[in-house]
Amino acid sequence: MLRLHGIVGHEADAGLHDRLHHVEHHGGIEFLFVPPEEAGRKRFRRATDRGTDCAVSLDRDEDLIDGALLWLEHDRAIIVRFGQQALWRLRPINATAALKLGWHAGNLHWRVRFEGECLVILLDGPPADYRARIAHLLAEGDIVDLADV
Amino acid sequence: MTGVQKTKGARIAAARVGIGGPVGSGKTALVERLIPALLGRGIDLAVITNDLVTAEDAERIRRSGLIDPARVSAVEAGACPHTVIREDPTLNIEAADELERRFPGVELILLESGGDNLASTFSRDLTDFWMFVIDVAGGDDIPRKRGPGVIRCDLLVINKTDLAPHVGVDLARMHEQALAVRSNRPVLLTNCRKGEGIDAVVGMIERDVLFRA
Repeated sequence: MLRLHGIVGHEADAGLHDRLHHVEHHGGIEFLFVPPEEAGRKRFRRATDRGTDCAVSLDRDEDLIDGALLWLEHDRAIIVRFGQQALWRLRPINATAALKLGWHAGNLHWRVRFEGECLVILLDGPPADYRARIAHLLAEGDIVDLADV
Repeated sequence: MTGVQKTKGARIAAARVGIGGPVGSGKTALVERLIPALLGRGIDLAVITNDLVTAEDAERIRRSGLIDPARVSAVEAGACPHTVIREDPTLNIEAADELERRFPGVELILLESGGDNLASTFSRDLTDFWMFVIDVAGGDDIPRKRGPGVIRCDLLVINKTDLAPHVGVDLARMHEQALAVRSNRPVLLTNCRKGEGIDAVVGMIERDVLFRA
């Protein structure tokens, strides 16, 4: 187990470029893939793409980001990679439909983003589970399903 | 190792583990079993309980003699319990921060939610790991109902296993269905009254949260 605490930098940091380039040249870059729905964790245990068992903790005021550097030594670096967040983009046809959709999304505790006239759902589970909850709105044509998922 | 690492000299915050589940499923009983098991393994511990409008569970644990009463804090939600563990967990975050200030060496804080329904979940801002406790007497159809608490928790605990034959529950099938709806993520069986299954829960906390093994 490799115990890691905190983010020591970012793969794009100019000050780390030469060191990371050296590590990469020696084949020492390991990626720790973190699903987007797990990105909010402050403490977790996962294996890198090369099988290194990483026990990771962050300070309470730190947020894990894609490209975060968790470990760096002369011949080895561990970099976080997020998978792509699954999104479901919905456009209500009018204000009434928007109120209905917002009411459901709130009551269902969905994670959402607002994009102009669209409500974007950040999916933490299978799309069918989400679709089933507002099937009636979709069937009635109140919501335009822009189907990013 | 010569790597750049923040760990050196840094004080690492205590791990925070949530315990949620329906009313009467055995959350407080689980806490009462976990306390001596965790202390017995040398883990520096504190506890937060959540109740609706009382400090009933905190008082029960303080009086239990299992832990220094000063290490037990109470949060009164005043509303649905999930509001203070998910929508706005600031009361619990402040309670945990305050315990860490008073007990700087604390490694683990258990946060017991008030009894809620199957939709109850913990905010990632509050807990690093959370378990959801259901019990066989609540019915063997509970896992099949796929509540967010059952599906999303890091560990599902099925408690009161000793009651299965008395309430007509096929425990093996309930366990199998729980694993199925959770895509084989962890499900453990306990009988908190007799302390059965507690070691497995503690082992998981030690491995996945405290990184001891």
